[in-house]
Amino acid sequence: MNVPLGGIWLWLPLLLTWLTPEVSSSWWYMRATGGSSRVMCDNVPGLVSRQRQLCHRHPDVMRAIGLGVAEWTAECQHQFRQHRWNCNTLDRDHSLFGRVLLRSSRESAFVYAISSAGVVFAITRACSQGELKSCSCDPKKKGSAKDSKGTFDWGGCSDNIDYGIKFARAFVDAKERKGKDARALMNLHNNRAGRKAVKRFLKQECKCHGVSGSCTLRTCWLAMADFRKTGDYLWRKYNGAIQVVMNQDGTGFTVANKRFKKPTKNDLVYFENSPDYCIRDREAGSLGTAGRVCNLTSRGMDSCEVMCCGRGYDTSHVTRMTKCECKFHWCCAVRCQDCLEALDVHTCKAPKSADWATPT
Amino acid sequence: MWVAWSARTAALALLLGALHGAPTRGQEYDYYGWQAEPLHGRSYSKPPQCLDIPADLPLCHTVGYKRMRLPNLLEHESLAEVKQQASSWLPLLAKRCHSDTQVFLCSLFAPVCLDRPIYPCRSLCEAARAGCAPLMEAYGFPWPEMLHCHKFPLDNDLCIAVQFGHLPATAPPVTKICAQCEMEHSADGLMEQMCSSDFVVKMRIKEIKIDNGDRKLIGAQKKKKLLKAGPLKRKDTKKLVLHMKNGASCPCPQLDNLTGSFLVMGRKVEGQLLLTAVYRWDKKNKEMKFAVKFMFSYPCSLYYPFFYGAAEPH
Repeated sequence: MNVPLGGIWLWLPLLLTWLTPEVSSSWWYMRATGGSSRVMCDNVPGLVSRQRQLCHRHPDVMRAIGLGVAEWTAECQHQFRQHRWNCNTLDRDHSLFGRVLLRSSRESAFVYAISSAGVVFAITRACSQGELKSCSCDPKKKGSAKDSKGTFDWGGCSDNIDYGIKFARAFVDAKERKGKDARALMNLHNNRAGRKAVKRFLKQECKCHGVSGSCTLRTCWLAMADFRKTGDYLWRKYNGAIQVVMNQDGTGFTVANKRFKKPTKNDLVYFENSPDYCIRDREAGSLGTAGRVCNLTSRGMDSCEVMCCGRGYDTSHVTRMTKCECKFHWCCAVRCQDCLEALDVHTCKAPKSADWATPT
Repeated sequence: MWVAWSARTAALALLLGALHGAPTRGQEYDYYGWQAEPLHGRSYSKPPQCLDIPADLPLCHTVGYKRMRLPNLLEHESLAEVKQQASSWLPLLAKRCHSDTQVFLCSLFAPVCLDRPIYPCRSLCEAARAGCAPLMEAYGFPWPEMLHCHKFPLDNDLCIAVQFGHLPATAPPVTKICAQCEMEHSADGLMEQMCSSDFVVKMRIKEIKIDNGDRKLIGAQKKKKLLKAGPLKRKDTKKLVLHMKNGASCPCPQLDNLTGSFLVMGRKVEGQLLLTAVYRWDKKNKEMKFAVKFMFSYPCSLYYPFFYGAAEPH
């Protein structure tokens, strides 16, 4: 399911709502609000003064961050696509997403990291596209340099990721720095892990312009890799996330289980174990898995046994038309056949009706 | 560095173009223009667009389809960039080293516009490389990294296969003369060759040896005159050994008889001297005398002086 992308400013309050523990639906009323950034900044719920200040000074950066929300939420949904909790948001009740974030679980850890990474990515990309007044291509990437293949010229547009990281840190972390509680420290840690993850995938790309395309003359630049790489990396960190508790003097973490290693700056950390997400539970932010598609032949999290929490599944037979046997013909067209594909779709059963009557 | 980039492109065009007869000379000059538009690294999420193949992209204007995809499959992002990089391939196309050279090059430089990118098949790349790489190597230009055949898909229904290379030969193939032995007859043609060569020497040849696929011309110690020194030092000329790349098995009438002197042109590539042209020295040949006498008055490409700087090994 894709997150619908409404007006540009629609996503800004949504982003901030997700980034703050307090859950508020007042952003709904901003949908109809037009006009100046002053109105928008002042009416976004949960902004601390530093964030509101940055919002006023850099409306173009806010726009870039808002546009980037769809990208990191899509990445989150991609990574959790086979899980009971699938990073989903309901169109009419975005606060449901926010409730998951109230619990200091590893899912919260992932969301904070991927959202922080998404902000870095969005700002850095907007820099390179020339959409932001306060930054541009990396000014240090000029002149000539050397690598294992010889000398090259810096050219094109190198991603100014240091600017993206600096701004993201100032903006996203501003609220957490006001608090000294365990949750604030957890969020700061995971936000930082997310920002560092993007920088990990900054790579050098080159073009060869020598005679007949030879590589004796090269122009190179630094470019962020596709955001999927960052998402995959953070997914591995989510799977290896480390449960921690606050240390005695409240300045940092220590591992909850002595047998495990201490977290590094790249690890995700969490305090509370996750719910099982099997049944709908508004307080826990769990939608439950009733109606979810499951995989009969899988042995992983998306298997019907696991996804449906042992409740069983329904099967429906679906047919659909697809293009197949495509061929390229000179000159020049791709021609395909139409094929009818039949498949079974398995969906999880709802809990028995008696369960609804049982007091929680 | 931008200037050197264009100069080397011009140099290759001159080198290959100069081996043609005079009547085609005029067309080659159109390709030496400097593209002032700067490169852009890459555009984020820029959707590919469909453009008419412009008339001033002669590499691909006659390829067989009219619309191309931009960015192309070599990651060129502007038409100016495509034209600039494509220009150095025109002389190779004119050599007709393989019947599918244009299909192959244009599948990358000006790829056909469909709902998905269509790549050349690996077999098409290998056929073009087999036909054309020896010619490029003869002039010291390796088959470039951007055209390495492992980058392209193994043959399948959705790539561009060999199109014309399958046609049966209408006549038994005639053994082709060595590229370095094709001769210009006019002073202008000779001077063009001299422009695109690093050095020009009048010399005698002591002997010729076969070295793998190359011929090696061993210069005699005596009667040597350096007409254009270029990168050669005095020590280089004491014992001249010239490599005739891929010249082991093709005929070269000029070298059938080694008596007398020869006019020799070459390039210095990675410390090796490559022969680019050889003529029997003929004191009665007025065209040759004129070319040698006025070599340095000839209006070589505007970017020619930068060629040496760009070519010097570090």
